[in-house]
Amino acid sequence: MAATRRLQKELNDIRQSGLKSFRDIQVDDSNILTWQGLIVPDNPPYNKGAFRIEINFPAEYPFKPPKISFKTKIYHPNIDEKGQVCLPIISAENWKPATKTDQVIQALVALVNDPEPEHPLRAELAEEFLKDRRKFTKNAEEFTKKHSEKRPTD
Amino acid sequence: MSENLSTLTAPISLSTYHQLSLTVESASIRNSGLFKPNPYLQITIDDKIIRKTEVIKNTLHPKWKEEFTVLVTPLSQMVFRLADHHSFRKDNVIGEQRVNLLKILQYFNGKCENVELTLENPLIASESKTAELVMLLDGLRIDPVILHQSHDLGEATSSNRSALNEGIRARIRRNNPDTLRSMLRTQVLRPPPGPPPLSNGAVGSGAPHTDNTPVPGPAGPSHQDPSPMLPENTHAPPPASTSATEEPLPSGWEMRYDVYGRRYYVDHNTRSTSWERPQPLPSGWEVRRDARGRVYYVDHNTRTTTWQRPDTERLARFQHWRGERRHVVAQGNQRFLYPPPQPPHQPDPDPDLASFINLSGTSSTSNIVTGSASAGGGASAGGASGFAATPPASAGAGAGAGAGAGAGATDDGLGALPAGWERRVQPDGRVYYVNHKNRTTQWEDPRTQGQEVSAPEEALPPGWEIRFTEEGTRYFVDHNTRTTTFQDPRPGAPKGPQGAYGVPRAYERSFRWKLSQFRYLCQSNALPSHIKITLSRQTLFEDSYHQIMRLPAYELRRRLYIIFRGEEGLDYGGVSREWFFLLSHEVLNPMYCLFEYANKNNYSLQINPASYVNPDHLLYFKFIGRFIAMALYHGRFIYSGFTMPFYKRMLNKKLTMKDIESIDPEFYNSLVWIKDNNIDDCGLEMWFSVDFEVLGQVIHHELKPAGDKERVTEANKEQYLQLVTQWRMTRGIEEQTTAFLEGFNEVVPLEWLKYFDERELELMLCGMQEVDVDDWQRNTIYRHYTRTSKQVAWFWQFVRQMDNEKRARLLQFVTGTCRVPVGGFAELMGSNGPQRFCIEKVGKDTWLPRSHTCFNRLDLPPYKSYEQLCEKLNYAIEETEGFGQE
Repeated sequence: MAATRRLQKELNDIRQSGLKSFRDIQVDDSNILTWQGLIVPDNPPYNKGAFRIEINFPAEYPFKPPKISFKTKIYHPNIDEKGQVCLPIISAENWKPATKTDQVIQALVALVNDPEPEHPLRAELAEEFLKDRRKFTKNAEEFTKKHSEKRPTD
Repeated sequence: MSENLSTLTAPISLSTYHQLSLTVESASIRNSGLFKPNPYLQITIDDKIIRKTEVIKNTLHPKWKEEFTVLVTPLSQMVFRLADHHSFRKDNVIGEQRVNLLKILQYFNGKCENVELTLENPLIASESKTAELVMLLDGLRIDPVILHQSHDLGEATSSNRSALNEGIRARIRRNNPDTLRSMLRTQVLRPPPGPPPLSNGAVGSGAPHTDNTPVPGPAGPSHQDPSPMLPENTHAPPPASTSATEEPLPSGWEMRYDVYGRRYYVDHNTRSTSWERPQPLPSGWEVRRDARGRVYYVDHNTRTTTWQRPDTERLARFQHWRGERRHVVAQGNQRFLYPPPQPPHQPDPDPDLASFINLSGTSSTSNIVTGSASAGGGASAGGASGFAATPPASAGAGAGAGAGAGAGATDDGLGALPAGWERRVQPDGRVYYVNHKNRTTQWEDPRTQGQEVSAPEEALPPGWEIRFTEEGTRYFVDHNTRTTTFQDPRPGAPKGPQGAYGVPRAYERSFRWKLSQFRYLCQSNALPSHIKITLSRQTLFEDSYHQIMRLPAYELRRRLYIIFRGEEGLDYGGVSREWFFLLSHEVLNPMYCLFEYANKNNYSLQINPASYVNPDHLLYFKFIGRFIAMALYHGRFIYSGFTMPFYKRMLNKKLTMKDIESIDPEFYNSLVWIKDNNIDDCGLEMWFSVDFEVLGQVIHHELKPAGDKERVTEANKEQYLQLVTQWRMTRGIEEQTTAFLEGFNEVVPLEWLKYFDERELELMLCGMQEVDVDDWQRNTIYRHYTRTSKQVAWFWQFVRQMDNEKRARLLQFVTGTCRVPVGGFAELMGSNGPQRFCIEKVGKDTWLPRSHTCFNRLDLPPYKSYEQLCEKLNYAIEETEGFGQE
């Protein structure tokens, strides 16, 4: 398959680089077009948990960008209830075939750590984030405790 | 012993042989010895079939990935023996494990598809070594009803359970909808064998057995079966009790679980997956099977049928499509083109034309056919094709006899004639050409037809420029001396105003003139009498299909007489105009899956690569090819046109990278990036091979022989881009396009289209419509300009001074089509949804305007004067090769 070699290489590179913020990468041997992994954010209020994401690569990768979705619920202005996330680096306008999944993940981690309320997917959370940060942080922390996955210990 | 007994006494259905695909994947051996083993696996089935994998030398972790297809019965016993190969002495057994296939089948409700089997702690493990073996079982499916007959075997079955040991794990390999793509290549999703109600009754029929049979449920091993054979409960089938409350799945559907235990549904009819449980068919719908066993759906509400199961989305699209119907006829009445050419426009003033038409008007079809026999000395080709070709526009019978005299190739350096064509000479020595495929004749050489018009011209000397007068006459501006002239300054240009066809060259370039050439060919090849096509509005597509395909293609050039059943009326043109319009809308019916809108907008059609779900799709494309040719031949319009690349394909023009932009801008952007950047050090990991996905199936394609092994580099990327472009424009639609063109060419020779470029072809086929400039201006947005910028004011002044043809061409230049949405410019669509007409300030005044059809955007440089703006815009939209878009 055309995308396989590229993805295999990217996967190896990512695994070797030992990213602290993206761990537990699971890829089924029979389908390298779907990856799963744990986003482990550093910044509060998300640093109390870990969040599982799925990356779906199209058959036409790298002509077309991958799609990312959150499998773990998260209280975040840029990530909606269905787990969809709007990430400029993989938008149709910005996508370049040389963009690496590693860069995409780092952009995603940065977005999780530092929400961008100017471009919200969930307007009500963005408003709360801007107007009442304390309340937002409290809600997000509770939500994280309730829904997120355990952070890896090491 | 007990196995043999059960095999003998089992009912026929349990002892029937089935194919099972068995892939031996890998093993991992823990070795306490000094040397690494040379492992291989031996498979024994029912003590008779023996297969062996290759020996892999010197490893504890052999990986075979070897697939075997073996014949099994549901009661088969499989023995897997992992051994260590020695060259000089007897092979060592590392471990052996016996597996009862019935157990696995029962656990997975009869479906042994993509089942991963892991064998651990083999029964006869040698002391020093333990091992784990991973295999994949696939492609076996047994009706659960039959499986349950095994319980009638009573003790025989239960004693078989002793054959199941600890250390056998089976699970459905992770199978979410995305992984299905890759699975499909191994044909996991073959349509269910056997009658669907049985194989799909799996869930329901399993229910009554749960309490008293050893079908292992997810609640744990059954009380009769204490062995923890299948510990992975998360992947287990759902509790029968919950599914018992649900209706059985529709025919051809199957429920599966992904790795997270989430349910999803596989529709084997359409080879698609869905998270939602398929809804029961809407009221009035029914599933049927045709004589060939294919599933189809009947909608008794509309008395239509479709190959695809009607789900919510498909029905919504269908509703939308049906909603368009009421606009269709109204739209049709608004389209127009120039009136049929007047005699003075006839470029080839043949005095016999009228008499030919009259003469042939008196002879019937059969006369024409028998004419070939009487032609006697006529070329055999004439006889073979069953008609006597007469030279165009010459008196019928007499010329027929002389025909064929000049048959045979003459070496004129143009190469062979296209297939089906023949060159002949009249008694008076004049050469003409016969197309046996569709029984047409013409004076022009099909190889050069239209070329004089579209041939690329030499470059102008520096400082010169071509312009056009209001009337469309071409003239030349010499910016060096600031003078203008009608005389072409290029040395090779013919002196004087006459072009190749003996009319002013500028006129030859005009659409009106090309159209008259085409009309002339149509008229001179008209056939007498008429054909009647009788249809019912309810079954328009099928009725039209049968009647058009039943007739020999050339007969479709007779005058059409369309009758809608129950609506008596004479067809003086109005009824057939309506028929063309309605039928062209009908081919879009989403239920037929033949065409789709390109790039999410709602104007231009492209062939749907998934059209093969309709088993007869190629016949339908041939039919549509005939129908489209009829529309052009009879001067009728169709509701919705095709994409520009499709028209280019009809004209046999080379497709360029830029053509991809209009159908897949994302793909195009990536190609441009590759073109514009040095790709050697950015880890693209690209090779000369590509993939795409259709109906969940990934199709792999090598761009050239051994392309999988050739890396794309900066040095060879030009070739790569060329090959990818070619592939992107044709993937999945080649057969359909060929069928379409074949159908078309049977009615009208494709050579007749060569006068036109793709935009003119669209105008011809769809007609023009009055463009509401106020509405257009109201719904236009600006970037880096404002409503009041002078260039913007000039632009609208320019638009208002144009005639309809020019406006249509400007629209084609910017939006990719001459058509305006039914709801006006407010409903203009781009590739990402609604996208208004946009004018953006880009570049310098020396630039030509450019366009981005997928965003309906015109890049208009800040020109210094109204005149300059007119010149540049005229130039950009008149240039047929579309370099203004580059």
